[in-house]
Amino acid sequence: MTEAAPAELSAEVPVLDLRGVSKTFPGTKALDGVDLQIGSGEIHALVGANGSGKSTLIKTLAGYHHPDPGAHAQADGREFELGTVPADSSHMVRFVHQDLGLILELSAADNLALKSGFLTRGRVIDWKAQRAETRRQLARLGMSFDVDQPLTAATPVQRTVTAIAGALAGWESGRGLLVLDEPTAVLPHTEVELLLDIVREVRRHGASILYVSHRLDEIFQIADRVTVLRDGRKVGTFEVGELDQQSLAELMVGGRVRAGFRLDRAVPRDASVALEVRDLAGGRLVDLSLDVRRGEILGVAGLAGSGADDVPYLLAGARKVTGNGRFRYADGDWRPTSALAGIGIPLVPADRGREGVIADFSVGENLSLSVVSRVAKSGVLRGRRERALIADWVKRLEVKVASADDLITTLSGGNQQKVVLGRALAGEPKTLLLAEPTAGVDIGTRQAIYTLIGWLADETGLSVIVTSTDATDLIAMCGRVLVVGQGEQVGELRGDEITERNLMTTMEARPR
Amino acid sequence: MTENFTAESEPGVSEDEPPSPTPTSPRAADNVAVQGASGARRSPLHAVGKVLSPTRVSALYVLVAEIIIFSLWAPETFPKLATVKQVLDGNAVIGLAALALAVPLASRVFDLSFAYTMSLAGVTAAHFVAVNNWPLPAAILLALLISLVVGVINAIVVVVLKVNSMIGTLGTGSIIQALISYLTKDQDVTGARLFGGFSKIGQYSVGGIILPVFYLLILAIGVWFVLGHTPLGRRIYATGFNTDAARLSGIKTKRIQFCSLLVSAVLAGWAGISLASVLGSGSTTAGTPYLLPAFAAAFLGETQIMPGRVNAWGTILGVLALGTGITGLSLSGAPSWASNMFTGVVLIAALATNTLQRRPGGLSLARR
Repeated sequence: MTEAAPAELSAEVPVLDLRGVSKTFPGTKALDGVDLQIGSGEIHALVGANGSGKSTLIKTLAGYHHPDPGAHAQADGREFELGTVPADSSHMVRFVHQDLGLILELSAADNLALKSGFLTRGRVIDWKAQRAETRRQLARLGMSFDVDQPLTAATPVQRTVTAIAGALAGWESGRGLLVLDEPTAVLPHTEVELLLDIVREVRRHGASILYVSHRLDEIFQIADRVTVLRDGRKVGTFEVGELDQQSLAELMVGGRVRAGFRLDRAVPRDASVALEVRDLAGGRLVDLSLDVRRGEILGVAGLAGSGADDVPYLLAGARKVTGNGRFRYADGDWRPTSALAGIGIPLVPADRGREGVIADFSVGENLSLSVVSRVAKSGVLRGRRERALIADWVKRLEVKVASADDLITTLSGGNQQKVVLGRALAGEPKTLLLAEPTAGVDIGTRQAIYTLIGWLADETGLSVIVTSTDATDLIAMCGRVLVVGQGEQVGELRGDEITERNLMTTMEARPR
Repeated sequence: MTENFTAESEPGVSEDEPPSPTPTSPRAADNVAVQGASGARRSPLHAVGKVLSPTRVSALYVLVAEIIIFSLWAPETFPKLATVKQVLDGNAVIGLAALALAVPLASRVFDLSFAYTMSLAGVTAAHFVAVNNWPLPAAILLALLISLVVGVINAIVVVVLKVNSMIGTLGTGSIIQALISYLTKDQDVTGARLFGGFSKIGQYSVGGIILPVFYLLILAIGVWFVLGHTPLGRRIYATGFNTDAARLSGIKTKRIQFCSLLVSAVLAGWAGISLASVLGSGSTTAGTPYLLPAFAAAFLGETQIMPGRVNAWGTILGVLALGTGITGLSLSGAPSWASNMFTGVVLIAALATNTLQRRPGGLSLARR
């Protein structure tokens, strides 16, 4: 629709100009006609709740996703194609993704050299020059540390700076856009300030920054303007000075709690406690105690890196617990948390593709895996029993499948998730652990999953502990949500208090 | 910059919209389309067609083609009952070794040390029979026990110390060979006593078919039953296909991988004892030539009958297809390099077609 503007370098030409970017995935429209303009030398924040399309937009810009037809993109007035990874090292848009993309076993000098090429003398690497160059690049960002030690020994912020320096490699013009995707998610809060200074330093060298973050306070500290996404659409671009945290949060959630689904269940006060845990620790989780009653659906929420996502894995015994925590399960005795693995509370894992689905198994085999000994009689699998069990669960979960003998990979994401859920439920557990239960699941299936879990909690007294980075899950299912920050509980929300905005503001809180 | 403060219109309540009724992915469309037909009973002919489908039993067609070609090429020597016996007798030990491998392979653990375990068990049994004059059962038991110890060491290296199984068992195999050389001073164990009861283990024949063929049959039935018809077998496959998912489903994946290495070592020991009996001596390097053919048969077997799954009858089919080809080539007077060439070509062709047929493990792309 727009012709490529004349490529003159003037202040009015945005560094990045995206128009009409849409992206459709099977069953969902992740992005719907999003525009984004970033001015020269600007720190521009991009915010939105989970599922707002933020990461899809970044991934499209990075060339990981191909946008729907009709999208236009210009960098510095020059049209470029979205959805392809630019091979050109002079490309104007550079990325530091959340995982930083570093090789931690190698030193900062090696990591930078891998990005920009090794300095050589003849055909041999000139290590002295290489080290000096690395130090120079880091010094430009106001950092200095041992560039020869492996990055495993570096602090998180040193790693982040190495990644930023790597992204900026060979970018001498200064003009361009650096995209920082959740750069502070895994930083201890003492180091956040340091990183913000470095971001300002990058801008001082003439670059623009697109800053993606969940943490609203940072945006007010650092950004000039902010673009808000909601449900795959752009709400608007605003001057940060004209907003405060509350109005920004309202823009993100639409000035109201999303007209989402709520089970609105009440747990009887006299319901017995199904699982009591004291001082659970492991992974990023430092110390968390929780009780869940029979029939209760308890949420655990927290930002990335808070340790909330470790909770279900620790409780399932799938991650190593540390410390001297103890637990009591189903009126049993208090036992050390290291014995959780022996209980084997079923878990619906967060990463369906890697940890949930067994791609070479059929739908039926995936479903019955947790109960194969039950469908066997004197040690032999009974086909009829197994088929009956599978058919029963396929029906209860409304899995859309032609035959349970089909490979699970022929199903859509939502249906695969139902099967993984069925596997966890087939053993008729008293307690169930859910991690990201609706990741990549369409809205219709989500609602079916919520309803089923609620029904099981009501009818069978199933107690559920659920973690999700998607507030919709917690709002829909939970009667109570523990909010975790920096590995410890920072708040608790009950009933109607569980709103997207309350979750967000509580997650921002830091333990005293 | 005031024009930036133009919020777009309210995006509406997209949550309330029903999920798109028209499936957007071809896979979803397939599901809907096939659903109607799922109730119809499939005819027996259809079932036969499925069983004999070239995508499942390509090695069977290779086998038939081999029989036809070699019957035309070497009509004097090939199409004889003796050839059948030759193929069976000559490949029984390969089959035993291939099935020994198949057990850990199903849980995605490689045991490259099996060939050396075969040598070790053969030398041990032969030594204690020929030199120490032990009763046969005691010598066999000792050889199997030593094989079990090898299995325990493999399992510790691979499962406890978490060394990549291919590298770890290559290492233990090398150590085993070193031990054999040290203890035997590279002298094969021979002796008159080896031609007594010891020789019967591998040489006694029923209607021209030697006992190892029957061991193979019994072992195949055992592996078929355990892998295909017990909860344990299902857990072994799950462990092999996706260890993380299996572990998170409550399967003791480490225990499975540990035990599978014990089983493969003991089975390799038995294959080694049979081989020493067939050879009539405890050769210090008897097992080594079996390393590649056994792996070839096991890998070929994985593409057969239940493609993608290591299975007993597929492995047997693989052994027969490769063994018949090699026997046919030698009976037809083909040069000696032809058999290795044949094994290599068949193996690569089978695995390549298999990989192309099977869809890459499709993950959901719908994650936002």
